Amino acid sequence: MLLLLSKFKIIGHSMEPVLRNGDQVLISGISYLFKNPQKGDTVAFKNKEGKILVKRVTNIKNADYFVLGDNKNDSLDSRSYGWILGKDILGKVVYKL
Amino acid sequence: MKILFKVLPLRIAYAHCDIPCGIYDPYVLQRAAHTVIRMTQLLTDLKSDDPKKAAHDIARITHVKEEHINILEEELDTLRNDYFKQEHFEKYSNLNDLFIKTLKVASKARQEINIEAAKETLSGVQEIAEIFFKTKNVEPVRVKSVYPTGGEIVLHK
Repeated sequence: MLLLLSKFKIIGHSMEPVLRNGDQVLISGISYLFKNPQKGDTVAFKNKEGKILVKRVTNIKNADYFVLGDNKNDSLDSRSYGWILGKDILGKVVYKL
Repeated sequence: MKILFKVLPLRIAYAHCDIPCGIYDPYVLQRAAHTVIRMTQLLTDLKSDDPKKAAHDIARITHVKEEHINILEEELDTLRNDYFKQEHFEKYSNLNDLFIKTLKVASKARQEINIEAAKETLSGVQEIAEIFFKTKNVEPVRVKSVYPTGGEIVLHK
């Protein structure tokens, strides 16, 4: 989980048109302290290599989350690597510069 | 909010994109691993009475070793992140550990002039190549390499 707010630069095109390559966003760790991620949330999570990725939650099953890029024609997401674990979600994108 | 943007340190988040071309092959990976062995052999055997030439040769050989470790890491990342799916990691339960072990020993081969680490890197790469071909439902075979490093490369029948 991230602390109060962290600033991130987006690298990649999979979240276009909402988040474009090079955009800067604030990601909040406290958004999920008292509630779980919801469908439609844009979340940051850690993958197996510890890289931080940004995708949108499209389905939820128990504590597992299916995440997709908004740009579905060019996105590496749960269609490739499967459901992600709730514990790997670090926070929610709350603001874009 | 704009003030916050100014004061917070910037980190990177990846919005990974990928054209799913489906073209994957462990050949480049193996060639890179053999090259790392060869460069390590050349560094180990390097002899020169001319210190300037020796320094020059060390720089060039080390540069090539670095380049091929980079290729190797990139190819491993591509196979691990893009090609292999959850079902593969479940079927071959040692696969994830194999990636971790191979990346760690490759890092050692990068940092040192260490022929054992270079050979161990190739060994890990070969095991990954064998699993790759099995997931493609073809039988992997080890054949003698034609490189000065000797050893083998993994192909399929």
